[in-house]
Amino acid sequence: MQHENEQQKFGEPLSDFSLQSLGGPTVSLSSKLQGKKGAVVVIWSSTCSHCIRYDKYFNSFEERYPDLSLVVVSARQGETLDAVRMAAAQRRLKFCLVHDPTSSVARQWFTQQTPRAFLVDANRGLLYRGAIDNYKYVDDPEHLAYLEPALDQFLSGSAITRQETSSYGCAIQSVYYVLPKVFTKST
Amino acid sequence: MSNFPDSLLGFSVGLLETGLVMAQSAMKNAQSTIDKLTGQNNGEVKGAPLNGPEDLDLAVADFVNRLTRVYRYAPLELAKLPTTSGDVLAAARESFRNVNLKDPRNLALPVQLALSVGTLFTESALRGLVTLDVVGPTKVPRLVEDFFEMFTESPVFVGLEYGELIDRCERRLAEAPDDYRARMELARVLSKCGRYEDADVEFKKIPPESGYYATALHEAGTALYRAGRFEAAVRTEVQSMDANPADDRPRLVMFQAAERMGGYPLFVPQAYRMEVKAGFATPTVYFEDIAARIGIDKTSGGRGTAVFDYDNDGWLDIAVTSAYGGATLYHNNGDGTFTDVSVTSGLDTATNTFAVIAGDYNNDGFIDLYITRSGFYVGEGQLFRNNGDGTFTDVTAEAGLKNVWGPAFTASWVDYDGDGLLDLFVANNLGGLFERKTPNRLFHNNGDGTFTEVTEQAGLKTIWPTIGGAWGDYDNDGRMDLFLSNGIGRSQLYHNNGDGTFTDVSDLAGVTAMGFGSPAFWWDYDNDGWMDIGQFIWSDHDDVIYTMRNGQGPQSGQSMRVYHNNRDGTFTMVSRELGLTECWGTMSGSFGDFNNDGYLDVALGNGSPKLDRLDPMIIFENDGRKFRNTSFAAGLPLTGKSHGVNMADLFGDGRLSILVGAGGAYPGDLLTTSVYCPTSLPGNYLNVRLIGVKSNRSAIGARVSIEAGGKKQFREVSGGTNFGCLPLEQHFGLANIVKVDALEIRWPSGSRQRFEGLPVNKTLEFTEGQSAWGDVYANSRKDLS
Repeated sequence: MQHENEQQKFGEPLSDFSLQSLGGPTVSLSSKLQGKKGAVVVIWSSTCSHCIRYDKYFNSFEERYPDLSLVVVSARQGETLDAVRMAAAQRRLKFCLVHDPTSSVARQWFTQQTPRAFLVDANRGLLYRGAIDNYKYVDDPEHLAYLEPALDQFLSGSAITRQETSSYGCAIQSVYYVLPKVFTKST
Repeated sequence: MSNFPDSLLGFSVGLLETGLVMAQSAMKNAQSTIDKLTGQNNGEVKGAPLNGPEDLDLAVADFVNRLTRVYRYAPLELAKLPTTSGDVLAAARESFRNVNLKDPRNLALPVQLALSVGTLFTESALRGLVTLDVVGPTKVPRLVEDFFEMFTESPVFVGLEYGELIDRCERRLAEAPDDYRARMELARVLSKCGRYEDADVEFKKIPPESGYYATALHEAGTALYRAGRFEAAVRTEVQSMDANPADDRPRLVMFQAAERMGGYPLFVPQAYRMEVKAGFATPTVYFEDIAARIGIDKTSGGRGTAVFDYDNDGWLDIAVTSAYGGATLYHNNGDGTFTDVSVTSGLDTATNTFAVIAGDYNNDGFIDLYITRSGFYVGEGQLFRNNGDGTFTDVTAEAGLKNVWGPAFTASWVDYDGDGLLDLFVANNLGGLFERKTPNRLFHNNGDGTFTEVTEQAGLKTIWPTIGGAWGDYDNDGRMDLFLSNGIGRSQLYHNNGDGTFTDVSDLAGVTAMGFGSPAFWWDYDNDGWMDIGQFIWSDHDDVIYTMRNGQGPQSGQSMRVYHNNRDGTFTMVSRELGLTECWGTMSGSFGDFNNDGYLDVALGNGSPKLDRLDPMIIFENDGRKFRNTSFAAGLPLTGKSHGVNMADLFGDGRLSILVGAGGAYPGDLLTTSVYCPTSLPGNYLNVRLIGVKSNRSAIGARVSIEAGGKKQFREVSGGTNFGCLPLEQHFGLANIVKVDALEIRWPSGSRQRFEGLPVNKTLEFTEGQSAWGDVYANSRKDLS
């Protein structure tokens, strides 16, 4: 039996998706790719403390990469549209954020943790998947970016040297029995 | 060991144990009686209760654990009591919602509930007494506070509820800005999430009159250290010491931050500085961290590590489990670099994992993995079958292991009955502050890809929370015996009777010392042909700081234990005689002859979930007489936090690298894996790999001995004893010896083979029953020097 991740091959198109954006209208990956060279899709969660680090990076992403789209998919199990809206307002998130209440994209794209970034070309062909960088702290001398070199290589037409880096982050689905809710909603 | 309990607890640990056993059996008997009365079949194997506890007893334990969390996070004001009551009701609903009220067993609910609650508290109280016995009364308050934090928070962070916790604290502070307890909680949660700068701001709002001032400054200093703002960290820790000079924790973080700056800044008063006396014995081998250079550069909450060759290309690959996120698999490219193949291999689907053990359970020639979860909370273990094409498939359900859920830190592969098939042992801790101990579990491999639980038949029940189980043959009868290192309580040794059953021989063997046991292992540290026991011990922060400053632990402290095998079924603890007098907060570790001098050395991975426990990793060189701490002189950093420590010859050149999965219990523990490689080849060596034919293919349990230069050395192939799994490859250091006179293998099947006149500085592969051996790297043209 082949592992499911094997179904997602480099160079081959990833499945399209169509999800509600925070603003209301439905956004599809293919529509975001129109007129662009490619797109970065990030599987994301409003509660994930690792995602928070990239708020500024995502906010200014399309300014820095006008040839690329950014689509951020909120995918955490049980994450409501309201919660995502509230986080977006509080954190002044300006990037294209879509809500995936059933974690369908994460499932179809075999993603278990947030944040995970995917770089696809205009035909949704997979170019890079994995972590954004190996952040430990600001000004870390050992800091290494993973996504950016892939973007730069893609945009300059050269081969992507590091196509995959498994990402560190928060689980999308609880692997524990669904006990928690320590903070059960009091009635 | 503290002297205090001698008077208070004049009665023996045995009595406490009897209490625990009675509490458990009372509950079990009652359950069985109720089952009989109501016609229930209690023998069925149930899957993990993924939606919550399904039986009353578990529900009670769960509810009590929830109550501790409600208490922990409840506002102190009386006016808030209604909210708290609401929380309690909600907790009760949550804990009991899956207990089927139509189940006839619940006819007996009043009886069972009383018994369940009563015995649960009895058990917890007895364990509390044991803890008191181990640490003594002065240290109990901080320890209880730490355990309380650890157990109550585990589900909050793993369940990603910290967002709600932050909201809750912020709401509370909007109403009552002077609720300093709430502000401390907020700052701590921010810190634990990795939002260090935000945490610093909140900690600094705590005023001197709050009662938290010095602690808040210390924790702010820790947050700043972790944010990479070393000078600010030093300044803040100085302020903390100004406020409370008696606390040594700020002194340590200040020292570690100053180290990162290249030394203490002038403004640090002399009285606040510290000198590290441990770790400066003269080394015979020096190390450098090559992780980033070889492509192991990812941030991860690394826990267990397993080194094994998953694709049979001869090169040893590395798997690292992660507290958050998925497991990582690094492919060894054979040219001195590694490639991250986690996603392609499918192993990154295993999120929030702890130990990883490697063994070919289906004897198909490809090494498979078993992965455990949690340790302070329940989670499901997972069996990954190696498909032989670079991918792994989760076969937990089809292997009949779906019911293996529990608070497991570690697990091991072992062929306990010598049938040529690897069986599985899972060691379970306590899954909550209040929990009836989840049993350790032994699963027999049926040979058709499935496993059957045999824990009870085997007689392996224990009531102590187990951190590590180590399998080894201590009496040279060819059968694998089991040593249990328990987190709270005594250690235990089980003799394998050879008929599928085990006998607890702990008292007779003299290995019942109490303490906070971490993983343990079997090794022949004195090369006498009898397997000895190494047991890591977790020490508290005070004892660790004392050790760093004094070069040895306090009198009342506990160091790593070495039990010498007396060859008559008894053991003698010889730690002190061997020079092991230092106290470290060891969470895991490993052994191997990293200086290639013919004696097994040891590495200790240290720390605790707490963010300020940045305990350095420690190595001890064994020169055949004493163990000497050469860590910092050998080039290891003075700061860290390490979980899965492993040793392996990654490049096939005789240098044993020390791998460290560094990471912690909180998402904010952002550390990378380290690989400390010797800067030069410290001596000749021979690496030995075994392929079982009649025996299990991984040859786990095989005994290998070599004779060289008039000396003998012994190794036993282990199937996992710490958070990770030692490489199945056995590394022998040979110093300046240029020929191996003889090598003997005692295969797990019982057959023996002897080879004479072997070369040195090679990695050789032996197949059971074959007289010819192979040279693993013979065809490798790559020059890695």
